[in-house]
Order: sequence, then C-alpha cells, then structure tokens
Amino acid sequence: VTRGKLAEFAAALGDPLVEGSGPVVAPPTFGAVVTGPAWDVLFTDPELGLSLSRVVHADQQFRYHRPLEPGDVVTATLSITKVRVRGTTEIITTSVEVRDAVEQPVLVADATFVHSREEAA
Amino acid sequence: MSVSAAEVGTTLPPLTVRVTRETLVRYAGASGDFNPIHWSDHAATALGLPGVIAHGMLTMGLAARAVTDWAGPDARLVSYGVRFTRPVPVPDDGVGAELLVAGTVTAVDADSVTVTLDVTCAGEKVLGAAKAVLAAGAA
Repeated sequence: VTRGKLAEFAAALGDPLVEGSGPVVAPPTFGAVVTGPAWDVLFTDPELGLSLSRVVHADQQFRYHRPLEPGDVVTATLSITKVRVRGTTEIITTSVEVRDAVEQPVLVADATFVHSREEAA
Repeated sequence: MSVSAAEVGTTLPPLTVRVTRETLVRYAGASGDFNPIHWSDHAATALGLPGVIAHGMLTMGLAARAVTDWAGPDARLVSYGVRFTRPVPVPDDGVGAELLVAGTVTAVDADSVTVTLDVTCAGEKVLGAAKAVLAAGAA
C-alpha cells in the first residue's frame, strides 16, 4: 500500500484524502484494490471454468479491523464459502481475508457473485 | 463530533455526485478493475447491457463519502456493506449519470452507530441494504 496509490484511489472517488499532520487513511472501499487480484484468480482459474463476462457482482461487505495505511504490506486470501446452483446459474459466496506483514487481520471482504453458465443472448 | 452526537433519525448531509466516462476511466485505473463493460459500449451491448455501466464498487465507494465526509477523518468504520440492486448506466454524452446519496442514523448503541444509505440514480434505487457501522467511541 503506497501513498501514491491511496491518493490515486481517493482522487478517483473525489475523496479529500487527509494529508499533513495525521496519517493518510484509506477510503472505505480501498480494500477492493487489494481484493481485486484475488477475485481475478477466482475468475481465471481453469479448473473452476468461470468467465468474468458472465459474472454479476451481487453484494459486497467489508469488515474492518483497522484502516489500510501507506507502508502496509498485505496478503489477500480468498475462500469460496458457499456455492448454490440454480439451473445454469451459480451463486458464489466468497470471503477475502486481508492480513498485514505480521499476520494481523486488517479487513475481510465478503462478496456474492452470480455466474451464468450460458452465453448472453 | 457528528458521530458522538448521533441519534436515531439524525440525517447526514446529502451528497450529489456526477459520474461521467472520465470518472469510470479514473476508477478503472485506480482500482485495477478493467472489465470492458465499464468503458466499452461495444463490450457492454454485446452482453445485453444498454451501454457502459459504472463499476458497482465505484458506486459503493462514492456512496461511502456521505459517511466519511460526515463522520470525519478520526471516525473508525467497523463495517460497510451494500447490495448492487440495479446497474448505473453512464452514457458518453457529456452529462453522464447523477447519484444522490442520503444517509440516516438507524441505530445507536454503546459501541456503534449505524448509518443506512439511500442511493438513487434517476429516481431508481441502485444500492440495497447499504449500511455503514461506525465505532461509537472513536474521536
């Protein structure tokens, strides 16, 4: 997590990032920058056979242990927590746990994705 | 100050955000989400969408500003969650889309303050069950 990436992300949201005396605090959804690569692994895993073009992000929840800050080195670990199948539609519930360099939890990002096995009409 | 003084029914200052193709391009680069449905009409319409739509995570991030602007930099978020109930089309017409974010304090207890957000675009609700929980003790 770098100050530059935080500033770029905050600017993209029009979020006035707090600079100066206090620490720079990540916007609440900055966790998406860290969890995005974990989602990419899910959608490109050849064994799972999912296609990003047939995925709809249905819900998203972040649970925070502490804010991400410049200098953090973090690891994101994705778990598939539930899969429900309705015909050709799969409802995939995932949880990404983000931990810092000393293995302390930073945040958990839970998401539900709806994946269709059929091509769009 | 706002968080510590919050009562059930307290309303947050409403937020209006204009979303254009430039917003989407900036967010794509900043977030690393380069799914073409968020920048290519060709890709979006091929999937049956009316055209380019905003990243759900962008809408979620913009809506969070209503909470962080109100709560201030020292507030501590415990959780923030939404359902993506309806896509936000962003036409390349120089106007784009306008998001309206309204927030109301819906629960207060010893440990936390819960804000429920109402996020609409062109009169339609685009996020459902949008809730942010803040630690009551911080700042």
